[in-house]
Amino acid sequence: MGHPVRYSIMALLGAAERAEFAFVRDHIEVSDSVLSKQMTALQEAGYVKVHKGYVQNRPRTWLSLTRLGRQRFERHLAALREIAAGNGMAAAS
Amino acid sequence: MAVEAFDPTREQAAAAVAEAGHRAAQVHRADRQLRWMLLAVLAVYLVAAVTMSVSPHRGSPVGVIVVVAAVLTGLVLAVVAGLRIRAYSRAGIITYFATIIAFNVWSSVVTSISIGTGFWGSGRPAYDFGITVGIAVLPLAVGAALMGRRR
Repeated sequence: MGHPVRYSIMALLGAAERAEFAFVRDHIEVSDSVLSKQMTALQEAGYVKVHKGYVQNRPRTWLSLTRLGRQRFERHLAALREIAAGNGMAAAS
Repeated sequence: MAVEAFDPTREQAAAAVAEAGHRAAQVHRADRQLRWMLLAVLAVYLVAAVTMSVSPHRGSPVGVIVVVAAVLTGLVLAVVAGLRIRAYSRAGIITYFATIIAFNVWSSVVTSISIGTGFWGSGRPAYDFGITVGIAVLPLAVGAALMGRRR
């Protein structure tokens, strides 16, 4: 989660129940290929789920955090808050 | 993905925390499509209520045309808003469905009381329907207001 793009993805999905691939891409401001690559890494880590479907015959890909991903992100964010508050230098993972 | 440990400075940690808040705000802005769906339904009911209230005869063709047009327009707007949903938060979707459920329950109660007490019925002034609907749609207005206030 130390990678800036992966962190941004996790932060966006951490606030969302579900988000469309294009929504994440547009808000993180990365290309499709960069997002796909990072999504694959996050999926392999078990942090992100991908849901594919169709809306008006157009394919749509929705992304969401797994329970593990949400737990890890919340823990990571809590550690960052601690560091930002100056309450120790615990390494966030 | 290797879950790499990192050791951010206080400033980097503060920036990361701020970014998380910024990303959450982006998702909450996306929730507003759900609000538009509620507002579309609310608008349909209000147009029908006003039209029927001011219509001298409940079954006037103009009134019926206005109500049918409002229903169709509201339906199209709600579908368009639904198709434009690109992300939603857990709180947003819960508020949306809670509003729909509350509206169905509340409007059933209000309509039953209105009819049961004879407030809404034949021989009553035209605004009986409008007042009943105006009270029945309160959950939609409250839900839409709550979703509009969320950051």
